[in-house]
Amino acid sequence: MSEKPYVSVENISKWYPYKGDKLINHEKKFIKANDDINLSIQKGEILGVIGESGCGKSTLGKLLTRLETPTAGDCLINGVSTKELIKNDMKAFRRSVQIIFQNPFDTFTPRDTIEQILLRPLKNHNIGNSKEERRKLCIERLEEGGLVPGEDIMKRYPHELSGGQLQRISIIRAMLLDPEFIVADEPVSMLDVSVRAEIINMLLDLAKLHNTAVMFISHDIALTRYISDNIAVMYLGKVVEYGKADEVVNNPGHPYTKALISNCASIDPDDEREEISITGEPPTPLDPGPGCYFAPRCFMACEKCLKEYPDKKNLSDTHWITCMNAE
Amino acid sequence: MKNNRLTIAAQAVKSNRQLMAGCIGVLALLVLMIAAPLISTEDPTIYGPDVLNGLGENGHILGTNHLGQDVYSMIIYGVRTSVKVAVISAMISGILGVLIGGAAGFLGGKVDVIISEIINVFMMLPTFFLILLIVALFGNSLTNVMIVIGITTWPGNAKLMRAQALSLRERVFVKSAEAMGETKRQILFKYIIPNGIFPVIANTTLGMANAILTEAGLSFLGLGDPSIISWGQMIYAGKQYITSAWWICAFSGIAIIIAVLIFYMLGDGLNKVMDPRYNKRRA
Repeated sequence: MSEKPYVSVENISKWYPYKGDKLINHEKKFIKANDDINLSIQKGEILGVIGESGCGKSTLGKLLTRLETPTAGDCLINGVSTKELIKNDMKAFRRSVQIIFQNPFDTFTPRDTIEQILLRPLKNHNIGNSKEERRKLCIERLEEGGLVPGEDIMKRYPHELSGGQLQRISIIRAMLLDPEFIVADEPVSMLDVSVRAEIINMLLDLAKLHNTAVMFISHDIALTRYISDNIAVMYLGKVVEYGKADEVVNNPGHPYTKALISNCASIDPDDEREEISITGEPPTPLDPGPGCYFAPRCFMACEKCLKEYPDKKNLSDTHWITCMNAE
Repeated sequence: MKNNRLTIAAQAVKSNRQLMAGCIGVLALLVLMIAAPLISTEDPTIYGPDVLNGLGENGHILGTNHLGQDVYSMIIYGVRTSVKVAVISAMISGILGVLIGGAAGFLGGKVDVIISEIINVFMMLPTFFLILLIVALFGNSLTNVMIVIGITTWPGNAKLMRAQALSLRERVFVKSAEAMGETKRQILFKYIIPNGIFPVIANTTLGMANAILTEAGLSFLGLGDPSIISWGQMIYAGKQYITSAWWICAFSGIAIIIAVLIFYMLGDGLNKVMDPRYNKRRA
């Protein structure tokens, strides 16, 4: 951890005002989609973010790419606040930070051909000198990405291509701008299992080639462990555990992570482990607390857990959790 | 690809009888517009010697009016006026509605609140009396009439476009365009408007029918442009002879009904075909 982090998230929060019950209850309430998150990503590092649905993973991704404005806190890239970056030069910021969305079928406007879709950002960012040059670059990249023949793909409309093809194009398009940081928001969760590996490998190869920092959002622990350097586990808008991928998976500290991993199907049928079940639904992120957010469902919860939110506790130099009961 | 879109359009037209009738009707109106000098028997602006001739008298198929103009030729040339009013005023209303509504829905926040209030104010105005007032104040040229119809009917289109923009701006492709560094203007014109314009097109076509009626109504009240030939004015001029020369009013009235029906069928047919539930219901 001697290097300065490339992307650093500092106390970022996103609260959405809650509109219900206004007539009866005048107290202003917030849905805390993200609450006081601190993370950092080095150049070339892949950070996996896991958690169940609705825990704020995608919101975090949107905050980092500034598609949403954080309520509090900031995200620094190379030590400069993204707020400043986007104010000073929107295009330069958009070039350096890219996002790949979950749903490839809705990532492209249905009225344009792939050619128009790929050429527009290139023209906006003044990459390539002439239309011919840009076209050539696109076809080259498409064919490198296994979309052959590129010439033919360029003429298609998005609805004429498969999800896997579209997601490849989405990755290719993001990579055309040579970004330094990519948020991949569950890029394969809507694809067939058969093409997932190819898409992920393609993303990782490109990221490695350009030394890009990647935030990989997923709910698939096995996959995340396989590809990431570090893993952050989120629960109800908070990061509850962070550490090296193997450390987190082999030696989970937080009871929520323990439960998640114990329920994850293993390839090895002889692998013996105790299954921990958590009961109940996750509570709403509507003004949670004051205690640990996970306490109501936690199998280790004690009285103290319900009173205050636990502090960060280091398990090792590279591994921390927020739990009272950690040994 | 162009070919593909054409076949889709052809299929849509075939699938709905109303739309097909509307399309054929509009084609017929266009032919009448272009070929009016060939189809008509006389120049309708000439005041001939045959005054108030009946049907078929002296070669006047639909008779003549009190100034000796040939009613059949007047009706043929009247198509030009009506279609011009319909198309231009609907275009004004459509363009204003799309731009204002699209901007309101896409930009949101305070811009949306202010524009929505303006739309509401315009919707509450009694349109026809406003038109009367403006024509009375600024003179009754056809251009004025078209502009006034345009700027009093845009709020309906703006509301439709705003609703479309509100839902489109949450779509992933708009977010991804934003992430690719496209400006707000590019997003509005390349993503929001092309993807949300269909209901507005259908509504604008319906608006054409109303524009024809409004122009006819104004002419009937004597506020039309006196230097052109229009069906509304034919009725206005013919109404005092209705007992002795009924054909002046009757045939121009029928012409108005047919033109309005054509545009109405086209608009309603488009509305139905573009409704996403339409294809499911048929399948």
